[in-house]
Amino acid sequence: MARLSIEHVSKVFSDRPGEVQVVLNDVSFDIEDGEFVCLLGPSGCGKTTLLTMMGGFQEPTEGQICLDGEPISGPSPERGYVFQNYALFPWMTVEKNVAYGLKFQDLPEAEKKARVDAAIEMAHLTEHRKKFPIQLSGGMQQRCAVARALVGRPKVLLLDEPLGAVDFQMRELMQNELERMVQEAGITVVMVTHDVSESVFFSDRVIVFGRKEGEIVGNVTIDLPRTRDRSSEEYEHYVSHLTNLLRDAFKGASIK
Amino acid sequence: MENRDRTIRVPVNGDKKKARKMFLMNVAVMGGLCVAWFFAARAIGKPLVLPDFIETMKEFLTAWTNKRTMRNMGLTLKRVLTGSFYGLVIGSVLGLIMGYSEKAMSLLSPFINSLRQIPIMAWVPLSIIWFGLGEGPTIFMIFMAAVFPLIINTIAGVTDIDRNYFNAARSMGADTVSIFRDIVLPGAMPGFLTGLRLAVGSGWMSVICAEFIATSSGFGYLMIEAQERMQTAKLYALMIMSAVVGYGMDQLIRFIERRVTSWRFKDGKA
Repeated sequence: MARLSIEHVSKVFSDRPGEVQVVLNDVSFDIEDGEFVCLLGPSGCGKTTLLTMMGGFQEPTEGQICLDGEPISGPSPERGYVFQNYALFPWMTVEKNVAYGLKFQDLPEAEKKARVDAAIEMAHLTEHRKKFPIQLSGGMQQRCAVARALVGRPKVLLLDEPLGAVDFQMRELMQNELERMVQEAGITVVMVTHDVSESVFFSDRVIVFGRKEGEIVGNVTIDLPRTRDRSSEEYEHYVSHLTNLLRDAFKGASIK
Repeated sequence: MENRDRTIRVPVNGDKKKARKMFLMNVAVMGGLCVAWFFAARAIGKPLVLPDFIETMKEFLTAWTNKRTMRNMGLTLKRVLTGSFYGLVIGSVLGLIMGYSEKAMSLLSPFINSLRQIPIMAWVPLSIIWFGLGEGPTIFMIFMAAVFPLIINTIAGVTDIDRNYFNAARSMGADTVSIFRDIVLPGAMPGFLTGLRLAVGSGWMSVICAEFIATSSGFGYLMIEAQERMQTAKLYALMIMSAVVGYGMDQLIRFIERRVTSWRFKDGKA
């Protein structure tokens, strides 16, 4: 059985009566246990909406999303979520932010403390644990957010463009860190991105979305050893293949 | 879901020199004003309108050791604290509820928004009818002056909280009570403290007005008395005192603000 299965999911918004906007139309795919899957597509293609539904923050209009066969309803610690702006609580220190990920789990205090310490260690934030988010660099904030999402040992990790706001030079560095943390945790990951190279760097599989209604235009398995060499020929090959898929999806649109 | 920058910039290291320079400038401007007053008073020669600077300063300095003045000042401060306290309790509770629940907001906001359009002084006659002369109307007036800035700024404090904080907390398993305690209360704190500053400020301003009319004690009453006895220098001195005390209270709240929400400042502690 698939870890996550998206079953005939549609999402329709209607801000005003009589006006409907179809964001996703009958989307289905499966994600296997331990897989790293990127949802790649242009902005407005519905990939983020899909991720927020996996997070349980929104409900599908039709269809359902199942985790280990159980339909998702509402947010839960089973699914760790890293927001685009990280959403670290600014009034809590690094330590408290990470500990919040365990706060509502039924564990002995000593176990909680050990897990929080380990997560902070994994995020290389031990010497910054008493700092507030505002005092951290972007990279540290990202690692803190990932640590907070992982500390509760969720079944899947959902990443909403966690590097979307990062400048180019910083990006590769943060990608390496994120790759390290995710591989160490050995967890199923779904990540939304619009950056082709980023999707090749991280993914076992890339699901490519077209321009609208969540139409899937490609489902590409990336068969490269980790950690991936961005300058290798095969890497370049995957990047151009995915870029072409996206370009074709756009071409179709411009003819209309 | 944009990433809002809620940083408040504070001068650090290199800016220290700048801050000192600024302070010296402030002192210089103040000194210049005093000198101008000194000569203007001599030139005009009507002490009833603009009293002699030196005499006013004498009044100002001796007022701080004058038992009667200080007793009335204490009385006024006590009224401000009492009225602001009621305003704080009711304002923050209403603000939190209205900020958190859209239903409460649409139910209460027309009422609150029209009530707050009534000028503070317009409550004087009614409050005298309700409470009689004395403490009642003054405290009520301060309450009325304090409660609206608290409501409005607490609402803003709650609605300014990044929606993703709620989602993040829920995805970590937080229930409604925990979200209120861990997200809403600390998240609304900056707005609430801004409201508190404005509330105590307008409370201080309106208490003196209230004391003109509704009581025969307090700092405002001393001012009316000075005016009636044509002691203009004393009146000036009392006005400067009220400015100093108001400024002091504001600085005190700002200090508390930095302490309580030190997480908003890059350099950490206050």
